[in-house]
Formats: sequence, C-alpha cells, structure tokens
Amino acid sequence: MPATLLSVQSASKRFGDVIALESVDLDINQGDIIGLVGSNGAGKTTLLRLLSGVYRPTSGRVMLADDSEVIHARHRLGVVPENTGLYARLTAWENIRYHARIHGVSDDEAWNRTSYFAKHLDMLDALGRHTKGFSRGMRQKTALLRALVHAPSVLLLDEPTAGLDVTSARTVRELVRQLGEEGGTVIYSTHQLAEAQRVCNRIVIIHNGEVRADGTPEALLEQTGTTHLEEAYVSLTSDAARTRQEDSKPLSRWSSWWRGLFTPNVPGGGEDE
Amino acid sequence: MSSAFGRVRTIAKKELVEFVRDWRTILAILVIPLLLFPLLFILFPLLLASEAAELSAVQVDVVVQADEIPDELQSLLTNASLNLTFEDLPVVAELSAPEGADERLRNGSIDALLRLQTNGTVLEYAVLYLSTSEQSLEARGRVFDALSAWEQNETVRRIDAAGLDADETLDPLRWNGDVAQSDVATQGEQAGMALSLFIPLVLAVWTFSSAIQPSIDMTAGERERGTLEALLGLPSTRMELLMGKWLAVATITGVGVMLQVAGLLFAIGYLASSDVISAPSVSLTALAFLILAVLLFAIMVVAFELALAMRSHSVKEAGSILGPAVLIILFPALFTQVINLDGIETFWFAIPVVNVLLALRELLMNRIVYTHVAVWLLSSTFYAFAAAYYAARQFKREDIVVSLS
Repeated sequence: MPATLLSVQSASKRFGDVIALESVDLDINQGDIIGLVGSNGAGKTTLLRLLSGVYRPTSGRVMLADDSEVIHARHRLGVVPENTGLYARLTAWENIRYHARIHGVSDDEAWNRTSYFAKHLDMLDALGRHTKGFSRGMRQKTALLRALVHAPSVLLLDEPTAGLDVTSARTVRELVRQLGEEGGTVIYSTHQLAEAQRVCNRIVIIHNGEVRADGTPEALLEQTGTTHLEEAYVSLTSDAARTRQEDSKPLSRWSSWWRGLFTPNVPGGGEDE
Repeated sequence: MSSAFGRVRTIAKKELVEFVRDWRTILAILVIPLLLFPLLFILFPLLLASEAAELSAVQVDVVVQADEIPDELQSLLTNASLNLTFEDLPVVAELSAPEGADERLRNGSIDALLRLQTNGTVLEYAVLYLSTSEQSLEARGRVFDALSAWEQNETVRRIDAAGLDADETLDPLRWNGDVAQSDVATQGEQAGMALSLFIPLVLAVWTFSSAIQPSIDMTAGERERGTLEALLGLPSTRMELLMGKWLAVATITGVGVMLQVAGLLFAIGYLASSDVISAPSVSLTALAFLILAVLLFAIMVVAFELALAMRSHSVKEAGSILGPAVLIILFPALFTQVINLDGIETFWFAIPVVNVLLALRELLMNRIVYTHVAVWLLSSTFYAFAAAYYAARQFKREDIVVSLS
C-alpha cells in the first residue's frame, strides 16, 4: 500500500455566497499521477490552491501524512499555477533561483537540478534569457523547472498544457510521465480527458465543487458501464445542473446595490482571518 | 530550510533587482529627485536672469502724447532705452482713457503710450500698456523709472525752493548702524528657519509619492501579472512577504529621499557660496531625531501604501486610490507651514502626519523640546505599527491571488 502524502478531509471552500468546493475527501499517495479533470469553474484551481496552502478550507482540513497542516509544509510542494507567474524582468534562471533561495536550496544545488531537467525540456540555452519574450511553452517549461528546483514530494500543476503547441505539450507530458516513473507524485489539472488518460494513473473528476469520481481510468469505465472516458465523464456529471448557490440567502436590494458598489464581482472577497 | 530573515532578504533583493532593471522607474524615482532642487534653485534662477537680461536689451516703442514736456523728463526718457515718438495730446476725458491706443497696443505697433498734461504746478500722467505682453510691461517699467527719477528730482527742487533741507524733510526717521547686525539669529539659524518652511513639505510629499509606484508594482502589479500565486505557494509566510516588499519599497523611497536631500544640500551649498543662504545649524541630537522622524514616517507611509495597493485588484485600481491619497499628506503639510511653533500646544504633535511635519520644522530650527519629542515619537511609533498591522491584514487576505484583469 503506497504511503499517503496529502490528505484532504471533508474540505469545503466558500467565497461569500459561492460554494467553490463542498466536502471533498481525497488521499494523495506516493507515486500517484492524478488527473484532476473538470470543466471550467468546476473547482479544480480552488482544490489546487487548497492543496498548495494558498487558500485555507472554510471547513475540513488539508493535512500531510505527519498530521501537520499543509500551510506549514509548503517546502514539500512544487506549484505551477495556471498563468506560470514568471517575472518578466528576470531571466529564467533568476526566476528559478529566486524560488530556490526561498526554499533554502543553495545556488549550486539549484543549478545542478535545473540544468538536469532543462536538458530534458530543451531549455538549457534559454535559462540566461529574460522571460519577457518567452513563448507560452517556454514560460510553462520555466515554471516547471522552478517548481522542481527543490525536489518537492508533490508537484501541483494547474492546466500545464493549456495554450501550448503540440510539441511543447508533449514535452511537458513526457516530463510528468518521467517523474511518475521515478516515483514522484503529481496532481495535474486539466479539462482534457484524453490527456489525463495518457499521462495519469488515477483520475479525479470534479464537478460543481464536488468530487464525482476517483479511480484508475479502467475503474471509472467499469463504474459507469461505458467504453470511453468521455462517456464516463458525461455520465458522472450529467446531474450537475443544480446550482451551488441554492442554499444561499438572496441579498436585499439595498445590500446588493451597496455590495456591488464597493466589492468587485470576484470570488474570495473576504479575509482568511 | 532558509531562515525567515534570509527569505525576507531574498524577497527584498529580488524586488530591488526587478526595480533597477526598469529605467523608467529609475528616472522617475531616483534621477528626478536628485536633479529637482539643483534645477529649481540654480538653473531656474539662471534661466530667469538670462531671460531678464534678454528682455532688458530689447528695444521698445513708446509714444509720448503731450503738449509740453519738461526738458529734464524728456532727457530721462531719451536715456531710458526707448524708441520715442512724440505726438500731440488728443482730447480725452481722462488721460488713462484708451481712445484708440488699445488697438495700437494690441497690434504691437507700440509697446506703451505715455500721456502728460500740466495742471497748474502738477504734471499729470497716465501710461497705457498691455499687461499680457512682456515687451509692453518692460516698456511701462522703463517709462515709470524715468518718471520716478524726474519726480524725485523735482520734489527735492521744490523743497529746496521752499527753504527746507530736502534730506531732513524726506527722511526724518533713519536707521543707525548695520541692519544685518540687528538680528541676533545666526545665519545658520536663519537658514534653518527658511528651510523648515519647505523641507518638511518636500520630504513628506516625496516620501509618499515616491513609494506609490513601487508599492503598486510589488502588490497590485504582481497580482495583475499573476506572479503572486506562485509566490504564495512558497514556504514564506505572508508577514515575510510583506516585510520583504516593505524593505524594498522603503529602500527605494529612502534612496529617493536621500538623493533629493543631497540635491537640495548641493543647491544650498551653491547658493551659500553666493551669500543667498547659509547652511542650517542643526545639532547632532536634532539631526538624529530628524532621521528618526523621517524613518518612522516612512515606515507608516510605505506600510499604508502597500496595504492600499494590496487591497486593489489591479494596477489601475491601485493608482486611482493612491494618486489622490497624496492629498492626505499634502493638506496637513501645507497646514503645518502656517502653524506658529512658539507656544504651540503639545496635542499637535500627536496628530498623524502633522506630528512628523511639525517635528521636522522644530528640529530644522534646532529646537529640541523633549515633551514634543516624546509625543511625536510615541504617536509616530503607534501609527507606524498600526499601518504595519493594517498592511499585514491585507497581505493575509485570500483574495489577493485574484486579479480583475
């Protein structure tokens, strides 16, 4: 039985009246390459942000195997957010080194590790260049190198192949597969089922903030009695028309006007304290 | 694992490296403050002097309308660098009535028109000119100089003719001795007084305004560019993040203010060599308190700006909040210039912003009133902590990863 590295226990996340995640239970084990599959707005990014400690659950917990909260063990996580988050006025290497230093990794060690993976990603020559002129693929690869620089136990990738050309997407997938073969643990969010099936050994379908299915691709087919994952996905999410706001109390006209005046319509308007 | 101090330093260093790689911000925050006062105090007066010299060399056309002109006055006008044309005095209700002169002044055919008429023993006059024309103003000035000189000579002549001593009659009250000796304040003290009227204003406004751009860039800018989420996933706490960014903004602001003060001192040194102003006499204790006051003010201002910028969902939103916020500094700064420091009530030294500005004024005048020092020191420390606490709360918000763009 592989060891559980991360455990999401009845975690819910609300942003004001909006329920982004509801009672999610998930164990992430050593060697899992998890495809977190769901449509846009399903809750994938919110779950990844809970896992990375950027968000705290409104209720429930996100724990590590040693029972510590994930927020205190972020040095064991490598995160690639959807928009990569690179600094344009720094070179690729400086971006990577910045994260390495915050992780407490020496520059030499960071360089050795970066150059090893950079060769695989065909990025070695680009490390000294400013990221301002980088293509989407190069940015994604740089963000991957940055997430790997401190040898994390778990890698969290938010739609790492979104917007990439065929070659770059393939390179990223190959790296993830390689990490899996080396015993690494990766959580890989995507809305492409075919991609998840190619890369991952476990698929978690998330819809309207709920985990609808969790298992190997074969197990999902068996569970739904279908022959293709796409059919399985449709079957598992077909009852998903219900609103996540049905429990919320409607705002009065004045409250709505007042809130609209000062609060931009974005999730997460509150404080975490 | 790196230490908390190491992480704060890493964050601050990265922010500074990013900052110095943008030449536009370097220009706006470091080069301009260095050059501002030298340009204002040295180059600008030189420019004005050159313009004045140029204007005084200009030939101006003046029409004199008079039936009769005293010989001496005509001679004075002739020697006043004026191109004179003499005409008969037209029939006008009053000498100052334009009566066609306005058209000639407006089309530039003449620069000024002098009308003279004798009324008994009095010579009446009016000078018509166009106040929106520098050349016309210059012509009017030269005509007035000639008229004044004639009036002075004529006054003396008439007093003498009445059998009086003109000198005693015109100047019955006289200063005895050197005027400069009568002020017991040293030149350094006088310089301190003069500088205390604008240095606090400049320091306060510049500290606030120079922190705006880096504060926005390091918070709302990061948020908008999407770089903040990756940063928040790192093993640094939000307090470390705030401290790193605060350190970077404070360094940039501090260097900007220091450069501005250096530019100011250079300008003062230059003016001192021309006997325009001396260097202010400030004791070491006053100087130490002065630096402390500016430091506490910078802590408060930078934390406050970081907090406001972090609350904003975009650079545009942050700019529209922090831009007008300069008024929070500007109004108290202007107000404190007119507060009389002699016998000032102590409570003024507890009011935010006003306290530091008043402290700077007092210290530049080398006045150390320990009650005042205690009040502004305690209140400024409290405000600095309050601003830092507010900033910390903003940095702990979850929605800081979300951008509107």
